[in-house]
Amino acid sequence: MTTNITAVDTNGIKDKAAIVGIGETEFSWNSGRSEIQLACEAIKAACDDAGISPQDVDGLVRYEMDSNQETLLVQSLGIKNLRHWECVAYGGGAGNAVVGHAAAAVAAGFGNYVVCFRAANLRSGVRLGQAGGPERITGGQRAFAEPWGNLAPGHQFGMFVRRYMHASGATSRHFGWVAVTLREHASRNPRALRREPFTIDEHQNSRMVAEPLHVLDFCQENDGAAAMVLTTPERARNLRHSDQIVLVEAAAQGSGPQNEGIIYRPDLAVAESTNTSRDLWARARLGPEDIDAFMFYDHFTPFCLLNLEAYGFVPIGEAKDFVEGGQNIRFDGLLPTNTHGGNHSEAYIHGLTHPQEAVRLIRGTSTAQPPHKTINRVLSCSSVAQLSAAVIIRRG
Amino acid sequence: MTEPGHTRPMTGPLEGIPLPDLEALPDYEEGFWQGALSHVLRIQQCAECLVFRHLPTPMCPHCHSTSYSWTAVSGQGEVYSFVVVRHPVHLAIREKNQLPYNIAVIQLEEQDGLRICTNVLNVAPEEIFIGMPVQVTFMVPAGQQEVVLPLFVPA
Ligand SMILES: [Zn+2]
Repeated sequence: MTTNITAVDTNGIKDKAAIVGIGETEFSWNSGRSEIQLACEAIKAACDDAGISPQDVDGLVRYEMDSNQETLLVQSLGIKNLRHWECVAYGGGAGNAVVGHAAAAVAAGFGNYVVCFRAANLRSGVRLGQAGGPERITGGQRAFAEPWGNLAPGHQFGMFVRRYMHASGATSRHFGWVAVTLREHASRNPRALRREPFTIDEHQNSRMVAEPLHVLDFCQENDGAAAMVLTTPERARNLRHSDQIVLVEAAAQGSGPQNEGIIYRPDLAVAESTNTSRDLWARARLGPEDIDAFMFYDHFTPFCLLNLEAYGFVPIGEAKDFVEGGQNIRFDGLLPTNTHGGNHSEAYIHGLTHPQEAVRLIRGTSTAQPPHKTINRVLSCSSVAQLSAAVIIRRG
Repeated sequence: MTEPGHTRPMTGPLEGIPLPDLEALPDYEEGFWQGALSHVLRIQQCAECLVFRHLPTPMCPHCHSTSYSWTAVSGQGEVYSFVVVRHPVHLAIREKNQLPYNIAVIQLEEQDGLRICTNVLNVAPEEIFIGMPVQVTFMVPAGQQEVVLPLFVPA
Protein backbone atom coordinates (compact mmCIF):
# COMPACT_ATOMS: atom_id res chain seq x y z
CA MET A 1 0.00 0.00 0.00
CA THR A 2 0.97 3.64 -0.42
CA THR A 3 3.45 4.84 2.13
CA ASN A 4 4.54 8.17 0.66
CA ILE A 5 1.60 10.47 0.13
CA THR A 6 2.14 13.80 -1.60
CA ALA A 7 -0.04 16.76 -0.71
CA VAL A 8 -2.85 17.94 -2.97
CA ASP A 9 -2.34 21.69 -2.96
CA THR A 10 -5.16 22.82 -5.25
CA ASN A 11 -7.30 25.32 -3.39
CA GLY A 12 -10.44 25.91 -5.45
CA ILE A 13 -12.36 27.44 -2.54
CA LYS A 14 -9.76 29.98 -1.41
CA ASP A 15 -11.56 33.13 -0.21
CA LYS A 16 -14.59 32.33 -2.38
CA ALA A 17 -17.00 31.84 0.51
CA ALA A 18 -17.76 34.05 3.51
CA ILE A 19 -19.29 32.95 6.78
CA VAL A 20 -22.00 35.58 7.27
CA GLY A 21 -24.14 34.11 10.02
CA ILE A 22 -23.78 31.87 13.05
CA GLY A 23 -26.57 30.76 15.35
CA GLU A 24 -27.48 28.17 17.92
CA THR A 25 -30.19 27.09 20.31
CA GLU A 26 -29.60 27.01 24.03
CA PHE A 27 -27.58 23.96 25.09
CA SER A 28 -29.30 21.68 27.62
CA TRP A 29 -29.61 18.21 29.10
CA ASN A 30 -33.18 17.98 27.87
CA SER A 31 -34.35 20.31 25.14
CA GLY A 32 -37.99 19.24 25.51
CA ARG A 33 -38.56 19.53 21.78
CA SER A 34 -37.97 17.73 18.51
CA GLU A 35 -34.66 17.66 16.67
CA ILE A 36 -36.30 19.27 13.63
CA GLN A 37 -37.43 22.17 15.79
CA LEU A 38 -33.89 22.57 17.14
CA ALA A 39 -32.59 22.59 13.55
CA CYS A 40 -35.08 25.22 12.45
CA GLU A 41 -34.36 27.42 15.46
CA ALA A 42 -30.58 27.30 14.95
CA ILE A 43 -30.87 27.96 11.21
CA LYS A 44 -33.26 30.88 11.90
CA ALA A 45 -30.78 32.28 14.43
CA ALA A 46 -27.90 32.00 11.93
CA CYS A 47 -30.01 33.70 9.24
CA ASP A 48 -30.95 36.49 11.69
CA ASP A 49 -27.25 36.98 12.42
CA ALA A 50 -26.56 37.20 8.69
CA GLY A 51 -29.52 39.48 8.01
CA ILE A 52 -31.29 37.17 5.56
CA SER A 53 -34.57 35.27 5.66
CA PRO A 54 -34.50 31.47 5.99
CA GLN A 55 -36.62 31.51 2.84
CA ASP A 56 -33.53 32.68 0.94
CA VAL A 57 -31.45 29.67 1.98
CA ASP A 58 -30.90 27.50 -1.11
CA GLY A 59 -28.27 25.07 0.09
CA LEU A 60 -28.17 22.66 3.06
CA VAL A 61 -25.17 20.67 4.23
CA ARG A 62 -26.12 18.10 6.83
CA TYR A 63 -24.20 15.65 8.99
CA GLU A 64 -25.00 12.09 7.95
CA MET A 65 -25.88 11.32 11.57
CA ASP A 66 -28.35 14.21 11.65
CA SER A 67 -31.92 12.93 11.50
CA ASN A 68 -33.40 16.09 10.00
CA GLN A 69 -34.38 15.45 6.41
CA GLU A 70 -34.12 18.17 3.79
CA THR A 71 -37.77 17.93 2.71
CA LEU A 72 -39.15 18.78 6.15
CA LEU A 73 -36.57 21.54 6.58
CA VAL A 74 -37.63 23.07 3.26
CA GLN A 75 -41.25 22.83 4.34
CA SER A 76 -40.62 24.25 7.83
CA LEU A 77 -38.26 27.07 6.88
CA GLY A 78 -40.24 28.14 3.83
CA ILE A 79 -37.27 27.63 1.53
CA LYS A 80 -38.37 28.69 -1.94
CA ASN A 81 -35.93 26.65 -4.02
CA LEU A 82 -33.35 24.31 -2.55
CA ARG A 83 -30.58 24.16 -5.15
CA HIS A 84 -28.00 22.14 -3.28
CA TRP A 85 -28.14 19.50 -0.56
CA GLU A 86 -25.68 16.94 0.69
CA CYS A 87 -24.73 15.11 3.81
CA VAL A 88 -21.17 14.59 4.96
CA ALA A 89 -20.50 11.10 6.28
CA TYR A 90 -20.58 10.26 10.01
CA GLY A 91 -20.96 12.48 13.07
CA GLY A 92 -17.79 13.88 14.60
CA GLY A 93 -16.01 12.97 11.36
CA ALA A 94 -18.18 15.58 9.63
CA GLY A 95 -17.20 18.30 12.10
CA ASN A 96 -15.51 21.18 10.29
CA ALA A 97 -15.85 19.16 7.06
CA VAL A 98 -19.38 20.55 6.64
CA VAL A 99 -17.91 24.07 6.58
CA GLY A 100 -15.52 23.09 3.80
CA HIS A 101 -18.34 21.46 1.85
CA ALA A 102 -20.61 24.48 2.27
CA ALA A 103 -17.77 26.75 1.10
CA ALA A 104 -17.23 24.50 -1.92
CA ALA A 105 -20.92 24.66 -2.80
CA VAL A 106 -20.80 28.47 -2.66
CA ALA A 107 -17.55 28.60 -4.66
CA ALA A 108 -19.05 26.34 -7.32
CA GLY A 109 -22.19 28.48 -7.52
CA PHE A 110 -24.44 25.61 -6.46
CA GLY A 111 -26.23 27.89 -4.02
CA ASN A 112 -26.32 31.55 -2.97
CA TYR A 113 -26.86 30.98 0.74
CA VAL A 114 -25.63 27.61 1.92
CA VAL A 115 -26.28 26.51 5.50
CA CYS A 116 -24.43 23.82 7.41
CA PHE A 117 -25.97 22.67 10.66
CA ARG A 118 -26.13 20.00 13.37
CA ALA A 119 -29.21 19.48 15.54
CA ALA A 120 -29.69 16.60 17.94
CA ASN A 121 -30.95 15.48 21.31
CA LEU A 122 -27.73 13.64 22.13
CA ARG A 123 -28.62 13.51 25.84
CA SER A 124 -32.39 13.13 26.14
CA GLY A 125 -32.43 10.99 22.99
CA VAL A 126 -30.02 8.21 22.03
CA ARG A 127 -26.69 8.71 23.82
CA LEU A 128 -23.46 7.88 22.01
CA GLY A 129 -21.70 6.99 25.24
CA GLN A 130 -24.21 4.32 26.30
CA ALA A 131 -24.61 0.81 24.92
CA GLY A 132 -28.02 -0.84 24.55
CA GLY A 133 -29.45 -4.08 25.92
CA PRO A 134 -28.71 -7.67 24.82
CA GLU A 135 -28.49 -7.96 21.08
CA ARG A 136 -26.90 -9.92 18.30
CA ILE A 137 -24.40 -8.23 15.99
CA THR A 138 -24.60 -9.08 12.31
CA GLY A 139 -20.91 -8.55 11.60
CA GLY A 140 -18.52 -5.70 10.92
CA GLN A 141 -16.13 -4.02 13.32
CA ARG A 142 -18.67 -4.12 16.18
CA ALA A 143 -18.57 -7.93 16.13
CA PHE A 144 -14.81 -7.74 16.65
CA ALA A 145 -15.06 -5.24 19.53
CA GLU A 146 -18.24 -5.44 21.60
CA PRO A 147 -18.05 -9.08 22.79
CA TRP A 148 -14.98 -8.00 24.81
CA GLY A 149 -16.73 -4.96 26.25
CA ASN A 150 -15.30 -2.44 23.76
CA LEU A 151 -18.64 -0.66 23.69
CA ALA A 152 -18.22 3.10 23.71
CA PRO A 153 -16.06 5.90 22.27
CA GLY A 154 -14.14 6.23 25.56
CA HIS A 155 -12.98 2.63 25.19
CA GLN A 156 -11.73 3.04 21.63
CA PHE A 157 -10.14 6.45 22.14
CA GLY A 158 -8.65 5.30 25.42
CA MET A 159 -6.56 2.86 23.34
CA PHE A 160 -5.16 5.85 21.42
CA VAL A 161 -4.46 7.75 24.58
CA ARG A 162 -2.63 4.87 26.28
CA ARG A 163 -0.47 4.40 23.22
CA TYR A 164 0.18 8.14 22.92
CA MET A 165 1.27 8.28 26.57
CA HIS A 166 3.61 5.35 25.92
CA ALA A 167 5.16 7.06 22.88
CA SER A 168 5.38 10.64 24.17
CA GLY A 169 5.76 10.36 27.92
CA ALA A 170 2.64 12.49 28.40
CA THR A 171 0.71 11.80 31.60
CA SER A 172 -2.87 12.23 32.71
CA ARG A 173 -1.76 15.45 34.40
CA HIS A 174 -1.02 17.00 31.00
CA PHE A 175 -4.54 16.15 29.86
CA GLY A 176 -5.70 17.69 33.12
CA TRP A 177 -4.16 21.05 32.17
CA VAL A 178 -6.19 20.97 28.96
CA ALA A 179 -9.34 20.20 30.95
CA VAL A 180 -8.69 22.96 33.50
CA THR A 181 -8.12 25.50 30.71
CA LEU A 182 -11.21 24.54 28.73
CA ARG A 183 -13.32 24.83 31.86
CA GLU A 184 -11.82 28.20 32.67
CA HIS A 185 -12.82 29.40 29.19
CA ALA A 186 -16.32 28.01 29.66
CA SER A 187 -16.65 29.80 33.01
CA ARG A 188 -16.71 33.06 31.01
CA ASN A 189 -19.27 31.78 28.48
CA PRO A 190 -22.98 32.07 29.39
CA ARG A 191 -23.88 29.48 26.71
CA ALA A 192 -21.74 26.84 28.40
CA LEU A 193 -23.29 23.86 30.17
CA ARG A 194 -20.40 23.35 32.58
CA ARG A 195 -19.03 26.56 34.09
CA GLU A 196 -17.60 25.64 37.50
CA PRO A 197 -13.79 25.88 37.39
CA PHE A 198 -11.73 23.01 38.83
CA THR A 199 -8.10 22.59 39.75
CA ILE A 200 -5.51 20.23 38.34
CA ASP A 201 -5.75 18.16 41.54
CA GLU A 202 -9.52 17.93 41.21
CA HIS A 203 -8.97 16.61 37.68
CA GLN A 204 -6.46 14.07 38.94
CA ASN A 205 -8.80 12.95 41.70
CA SER A 206 -11.87 12.76 39.48
CA ARG A 207 -13.50 9.41 38.79
CA MET A 208 -11.66 7.09 36.42
CA VAL A 209 -14.02 6.05 33.62
CA ALA A 210 -11.95 4.32 30.95
CA GLU A 211 -8.43 4.37 32.35
CA PRO A 212 -6.33 6.35 31.39
CA LEU A 213 -9.32 8.68 30.83
CA HIS A 214 -10.84 10.44 33.85
CA VAL A 215 -14.42 11.68 33.76
CA LEU A 216 -13.06 15.24 33.40
CA ASP A 217 -11.33 14.21 30.14
CA PHE A 218 -14.67 13.47 28.46
CA CYS A 219 -16.84 15.86 26.46
CA GLN A 220 -20.47 16.48 27.35
CA GLU A 221 -23.49 14.65 25.98
CA ASN A 222 -26.23 17.23 25.53
CA ASP A 223 -29.13 18.52 23.44
CA GLY A 224 -28.91 21.48 21.10
CA ALA A 225 -28.27 22.76 17.60
CA ALA A 226 -25.91 25.06 15.74
CA ALA A 227 -25.89 26.47 12.22
CA MET A 228 -23.77 28.65 9.95
CA VAL A 229 -24.67 30.57 6.76
CA LEU A 230 -22.15 30.90 3.94
CA THR A 231 -22.36 33.00 0.81
CA THR A 232 -20.06 34.78 -1.64
CA PRO A 233 -17.81 37.61 -0.38
CA GLU A 234 -19.65 39.95 -2.78
CA ARG A 235 -23.03 39.22 -1.15
CA ALA A 236 -21.41 39.39 2.28
CA ARG A 237 -20.61 43.05 1.69
CA ASN A 238 -24.33 43.83 1.59
CA LEU A 239 -25.27 41.86 4.69
CA ARG A 240 -25.38 42.61 8.41
CA HIS A 241 -21.70 41.98 9.16
CA SER A 242 -20.42 43.83 6.06
CA ASP A 243 -17.72 45.47 8.18
CA GLN A 244 -16.48 42.11 9.49
CA ILE A 245 -16.05 39.82 6.50
CA VAL A 246 -14.98 36.30 7.53
CA LEU A 247 -13.62 34.05 4.78
CA VAL A 248 -12.93 30.35 4.41
CA GLU A 249 -9.33 30.27 3.25
CA ALA A 250 -8.71 26.54 2.96
CA ALA A 251 -10.25 23.21 3.91
CA ALA A 252 -9.16 19.59 3.93
CA GLN A 253 -10.29 16.15 5.00
CA GLY A 254 -8.22 13.04 5.48
CA SER A 255 -8.46 9.40 6.30
CA GLY A 256 -5.44 7.14 6.24
CA PRO A 257 -5.46 3.36 5.73
CA GLN A 258 -7.10 0.78 8.02
CA ASN A 259 -9.62 3.24 9.37
CA GLU A 260 -12.47 0.79 10.02
CA GLY A 261 -12.86 0.03 13.69
CA ILE A 262 -10.48 2.78 14.86
CA ILE A 263 -8.02 0.58 16.78
CA TYR A 264 -6.39 -1.09 13.76
CA ARG A 265 -4.75 2.07 12.39
CA PRO A 266 -1.00 1.80 11.69
CA ASP A 267 0.06 3.92 14.69
CA LEU A 268 -2.39 4.66 17.48
CA ALA A 269 -0.08 7.31 18.94
CA VAL A 270 -0.62 9.62 15.96
CA ALA A 271 -3.80 11.57 15.27
CA GLU A 272 -5.51 10.98 11.96
CA SER A 273 -5.08 14.74 11.47
CA THR A 274 -1.61 14.15 10.00
CA ASN A 275 -3.38 13.24 6.76
CA THR A 276 -5.46 16.43 6.80
CA SER A 277 -2.62 18.67 7.95
CA ARG A 278 -0.47 17.84 4.92
CA ASP A 279 -3.11 19.04 2.44
CA LEU A 280 -4.37 21.93 4.55
CA TRP A 281 -1.02 23.71 4.81
CA ALA A 282 -0.22 23.02 1.15
CA ARG A 283 -3.55 24.48 0.04
CA ALA A 284 -3.39 27.50 2.31
CA ARG A 285 0.31 28.08 1.61
CA LEU A 286 0.59 28.83 5.29
CA GLY A 287 2.09 27.26 8.37
CA PRO A 288 1.31 27.04 12.09
CA GLU A 289 3.10 30.36 12.69
CA ASP A 290 0.36 32.11 10.69
CA ILE A 291 -2.42 30.93 13.00
CA ASP A 292 -3.69 33.19 15.81
CA ALA A 293 -6.05 30.76 17.56
CA PHE A 294 -6.67 27.01 17.53
CA MET A 295 -9.98 25.15 17.76
CA PHE A 296 -9.73 21.38 18.14
CA TYR A 297 -12.45 18.73 18.44
CA ASP A 298 -12.27 17.93 22.13
CA HIS A 299 -14.23 14.70 22.46
CA PHE A 300 -11.39 13.75 24.79
CA THR A 301 -8.83 16.20 26.21
CA PRO A 302 -5.69 14.29 25.07
CA PHE A 303 -6.59 15.07 21.46
CA CYS A 304 -5.42 18.63 22.14
CA LEU A 305 -1.88 17.25 22.34
CA LEU A 306 -2.21 14.90 19.38
CA ASN A 307 -3.60 17.68 17.17
CA LEU A 308 -1.04 20.28 18.25
CA GLU A 309 1.56 17.83 17.01
CA ALA A 310 -0.32 16.74 13.88
CA TYR A 311 -0.69 20.36 12.69
CA GLY A 312 2.91 21.16 13.54
CA PHE A 313 2.33 23.74 16.26
CA VAL A 314 4.89 21.79 18.26
CA PRO A 315 7.28 18.97 17.29
CA ILE A 316 6.09 15.38 17.82
CA GLY A 317 6.28 14.49 21.50
CA GLU A 318 6.52 18.08 22.76
CA ALA A 319 2.85 18.95 23.17
CA LYS A 320 3.01 17.82 26.78
CA ASP A 321 5.46 20.58 27.57
CA PHE A 322 3.40 23.11 25.60
CA VAL A 323 0.18 22.44 27.56
CA GLU A 324 1.88 22.13 30.97
CA GLY A 325 0.34 24.68 33.33
CA GLY A 326 -2.21 25.71 30.69
CA GLN A 327 -0.74 29.18 30.04
CA ASN A 328 0.10 28.62 26.38
CA ILE A 329 -3.40 27.45 25.44
CA ARG A 330 -5.33 29.95 27.57
CA PHE A 331 -7.27 32.72 25.81
CA ASP A 332 -4.54 35.17 26.84
CA GLY A 333 -1.70 32.81 25.94
CA LEU A 334 0.53 32.04 23.00
CA LEU A 335 -2.07 29.96 21.15
CA PRO A 336 -5.61 30.64 22.42
CA THR A 337 -7.34 27.26 22.22
CA ASN A 338 -11.06 26.42 22.35
CA THR A 339 -11.91 29.79 23.86
CA HIS A 340 -15.61 28.81 24.01
CA GLY A 341 -14.89 25.87 26.31
CA GLY A 342 -15.33 23.31 23.52
CA ASN A 343 -17.19 20.01 23.52
CA HIS A 344 -15.66 19.54 26.94
CA SER A 345 -17.44 22.35 28.78
CA GLU A 346 -19.56 24.50 26.45
CA ALA A 347 -21.55 21.88 24.55
CA TYR A 348 -21.15 18.91 22.25
CA ILE A 349 -22.70 19.79 18.89
CA HIS A 350 -20.43 17.45 16.99
CA GLY A 351 -17.77 20.08 16.43
CA LEU A 352 -19.84 22.79 14.74
CA THR A 353 -19.38 25.17 17.66
CA HIS A 354 -15.65 25.27 16.94
CA PRO A 355 -15.80 27.07 13.56
CA GLN A 356 -18.53 29.24 15.09
CA GLU A 357 -16.10 30.30 17.80
CA ALA A 358 -13.52 31.00 15.10
CA VAL A 359 -15.97 33.49 13.60
CA ARG A 360 -16.56 35.13 16.98
CA LEU A 361 -12.82 35.47 17.59
CA ILE A 362 -12.36 37.24 14.25
CA ARG A 363 -15.36 39.48 14.94
CA GLY A 364 -13.96 40.17 18.41
CA THR A 365 -17.04 38.85 20.21
CA SER A 366 -15.79 35.75 22.00
CA THR A 367 -16.54 35.62 25.73
CA ALA A 368 -12.84 34.79 26.14
CA GLN A 369 -11.54 37.24 23.55
CA PRO A 370 -7.73 37.32 23.62
CA PRO A 371 -6.80 40.72 25.10
CA HIS A 372 -3.27 40.71 23.77
CA LYS A 373 -3.69 40.21 20.04
CA THR A 374 -6.03 40.65 17.11
CA ILE A 375 -7.30 37.34 15.79
CA ASN A 376 -6.99 37.34 12.02
CA ARG A 377 -6.75 33.64 11.26
CA VAL A 378 -8.06 30.55 13.07
CA LEU A 379 -7.49 26.85 12.43
CA SER A 380 -10.47 24.70 13.38
CA CYS A 381 -10.02 20.94 13.19
CA SER A 382 -11.70 17.65 14.00
CA SER A 383 -9.98 14.35 14.49
CA VAL A 384 -12.13 11.46 15.59
CA ALA A 385 -9.37 8.90 15.20
CA GLN A 386 -10.08 7.42 11.79
CA LEU A 387 -11.39 10.55 10.06
CA SER A 388 -10.25 14.13 10.25
CA ALA A 389 -11.10 17.51 8.79
CA ALA A 390 -10.01 21.11 9.17
CA VAL A 391 -10.71 24.62 7.94
CA ILE A 392 -8.73 27.82 8.08
CA ILE A 393 -10.99 30.80 8.65
CA ARG A 394 -9.61 34.32 8.22
CA ARG A 395 -10.49 37.98 8.40
CA GLY A 396 -11.51 39.29 4.94
CA MET B 1 -2.54 -14.01 43.40
CA THR B 2 -3.46 -10.35 43.34
CA GLU B 3 -1.01 -7.88 44.85
CA PRO B 4 -2.32 -5.87 47.83
CA GLY B 5 -4.24 -2.82 46.60
CA HIS B 6 -4.67 -4.31 43.17
CA THR B 7 -8.03 -5.00 41.60
CA ARG B 8 -9.23 -8.53 41.01
CA PRO B 9 -8.33 -9.99 37.59
CA MET B 10 -10.88 -11.03 34.99
CA THR B 11 -11.19 -14.80 34.92
CA GLY B 12 -13.56 -15.23 31.98
CA PRO B 13 -15.47 -13.40 29.27
CA LEU B 14 -17.99 -10.65 30.08
CA GLU B 15 -21.62 -11.69 30.39
CA GLY B 16 -24.77 -10.31 28.81
CA ILE B 17 -23.23 -7.97 26.25
CA PRO B 18 -23.61 -8.07 22.45
CA LEU B 19 -22.29 -11.12 20.59
CA PRO B 20 -22.20 -11.87 16.89
CA ASP B 21 -25.04 -13.74 15.22
CA LEU B 22 -23.08 -16.47 13.45
CA GLU B 23 -25.97 -17.07 11.04
CA ALA B 24 -25.98 -13.46 9.88
CA LEU B 25 -22.29 -12.69 9.36
CA PRO B 26 -20.86 -11.62 6.00
CA ASP B 27 -19.15 -14.59 4.29
CA TYR B 28 -15.72 -12.97 4.60
CA GLU B 29 -15.93 -12.91 8.43
CA GLU B 30 -17.18 -16.43 9.11
CA GLY B 31 -13.80 -18.15 9.27
CA PHE B 32 -12.68 -16.24 12.37
CA TRP B 33 -15.72 -17.33 14.37
CA GLN B 34 -15.74 -20.88 13.00
CA GLY B 35 -12.10 -21.19 14.06
CA ALA B 36 -12.96 -19.99 17.58
CA LEU B 37 -15.70 -22.63 17.83
CA SER B 38 -12.99 -25.26 17.51
CA HIS B 39 -10.58 -23.30 19.75
CA VAL B 40 -8.23 -22.26 16.96
CA LEU B 41 -7.30 -18.64 16.27
CA ARG B 42 -7.76 -18.32 12.52
CA ILE B 43 -6.83 -15.07 10.76
CA GLN B 44 -7.72 -14.15 7.20
CA GLN B 45 -4.70 -14.53 4.90
CA CYS B 46 -4.48 -13.51 1.26
CA ALA B 47 -4.06 -16.59 -0.95
CA GLU B 48 -2.01 -14.60 -3.48
CA CYS B 49 0.37 -12.33 -1.53
CA LEU B 50 0.05 -14.18 1.83
CA VAL B 51 -0.43 -10.95 3.83
CA PHE B 52 -2.62 -11.43 6.91
CA ARG B 53 -5.46 -9.03 7.57
CA HIS B 54 -7.76 -8.17 10.43
CA LEU B 55 -10.47 -6.77 10.36
CA PRO B 56 -11.53 -9.23 7.67
CA THR B 57 -12.32 -7.73 4.26
CA PRO B 58 -13.64 -9.19 0.99
CA MET B 59 -10.56 -8.00 -0.94
CA CYS B 60 -6.87 -7.91 -0.13
CA PRO B 61 -5.89 -4.23 0.26
CA HIS B 62 -2.34 -5.01 -0.95
CA CYS B 63 -2.77 -7.09 -4.13
CA HIS B 64 -6.56 -6.89 -4.56
CA SER B 65 -7.10 -10.61 -4.70
CA THR B 66 -10.46 -11.87 -3.45
CA SER B 67 -8.98 -15.31 -2.61
CA TYR B 68 -8.06 -15.97 0.98
CA SER B 69 -7.67 -18.70 3.56
CA TRP B 70 -8.33 -18.83 7.29
CA THR B 71 -4.87 -19.61 8.59
CA ALA B 72 -4.28 -20.91 12.10
CA VAL B 73 -1.85 -18.56 13.85
CA SER B 74 0.25 -19.27 16.94
CA GLY B 75 -1.90 -17.24 19.32
CA GLN B 76 1.25 -15.62 20.70
CA GLY B 77 1.48 -11.88 20.88
CA GLU B 78 1.93 -8.86 23.10
CA VAL B 79 -0.28 -6.12 24.49
CA TYR B 80 -0.24 -3.14 22.09
CA SER B 81 -2.62 -0.97 24.09
CA PHE B 82 -5.33 -1.41 26.73
CA VAL B 83 -8.05 0.37 28.64
CA VAL B 84 -9.34 -0.42 32.11
CA VAL B 85 -13.07 0.16 32.20
CA ARG B 86 -14.28 1.45 35.57
CA HIS B 87 -17.67 2.87 34.57
CA PRO B 88 -20.48 0.73 33.13
CA VAL B 89 -21.97 1.82 29.81
CA HIS B 90 -24.08 -1.35 29.48
CA LEU B 91 -26.77 -2.55 31.87
CA ALA B 92 -25.33 -6.08 32.05
CA ILE B 93 -21.97 -4.73 33.20
CA ARG B 94 -23.63 -2.90 36.10
CA GLU B 95 -26.20 -5.55 37.02
CA LYS B 96 -23.73 -8.41 37.04
CA ASN B 97 -21.03 -6.42 38.89
CA GLN B 98 -18.49 -6.89 36.12
CA LEU B 99 -16.36 -3.83 36.86
CA PRO B 100 -13.55 -3.27 36.47
CA TYR B 101 -12.62 -5.08 33.29
CA ASN B 102 -9.89 -4.54 30.73
CA ILE B 103 -10.05 -4.28 26.96
CA ALA B 104 -6.78 -4.94 25.18
CA VAL B 105 -5.44 -4.72 21.65
CA ILE B 106 -2.99 -7.55 20.98
CA GLN B 107 -0.23 -7.36 18.39
CA LEU B 108 0.01 -10.90 16.99
CA GLU B 109 3.49 -12.23 16.37
CA GLU B 110 2.93 -13.23 12.73
CA GLN B 111 2.95 -9.78 11.17
CA ASP B 112 3.65 -6.17 12.20
CA GLY B 113 0.37 -4.27 12.65
CA LEU B 114 -1.76 -7.44 12.84
CA ARG B 115 -3.88 -6.75 15.91
CA ILE B 116 -7.05 -8.02 17.52
CA CYS B 117 -9.27 -6.76 20.32
CA THR B 118 -9.72 -8.96 23.40
CA ASN B 119 -9.55 -9.16 27.20
CA VAL B 120 -6.49 -10.26 29.16
CA LEU B 121 -7.46 -12.75 31.87
CA ASN B 122 -5.81 -13.80 35.13
CA VAL B 123 -3.94 -10.54 35.69
CA ALA B 124 -4.88 -7.52 37.79
CA PRO B 125 -5.48 -4.43 35.63
CA GLU B 126 -2.64 -2.66 37.45
CA GLU B 127 -0.22 -5.34 36.23
CA ILE B 128 -1.05 -5.14 32.52
CA PHE B 129 1.53 -3.25 30.47
CA ILE B 130 2.30 -2.42 26.86
CA GLY B 131 4.58 -5.14 25.53
CA MET B 132 3.27 -7.78 27.95
CA PRO B 133 3.60 -11.25 26.31
CA VAL B 134 0.27 -13.06 26.03
CA GLN B 135 -1.14 -16.30 24.70
CA VAL B 136 -4.61 -17.04 23.31
CA THR B 137 -7.20 -19.15 25.11
CA PHE B 138 -10.85 -19.82 24.32
CA MET B 139 -13.97 -19.56 26.49
CA VAL B 140 -17.74 -19.51 26.13
CA PRO B 141 -19.53 -16.49 27.63
CA ALA B 142 -21.89 -17.54 30.44
CA GLY B 143 -25.51 -18.08 29.52
CA GLN B 144 -25.08 -19.02 25.89
CA GLN B 145 -23.68 -21.81 23.75
CA GLU B 146 -23.34 -20.53 20.19
CA VAL B 147 -20.25 -18.31 20.36
CA VAL B 148 -16.72 -19.01 21.58
CA LEU B 149 -14.47 -16.02 22.24
CA PRO B 150 -10.69 -15.86 21.87
CA LEU B 151 -9.22 -14.33 25.04
CA PHE B 152 -5.63 -13.95 26.17
CA VAL B 153 -3.65 -14.88 29.28
CA PRO B 154 -0.11 -13.89 30.30
CA ALA B 155 2.37 -16.08 28.43
ZN1 LIG C 1 -2.94 -10.02 -1.33
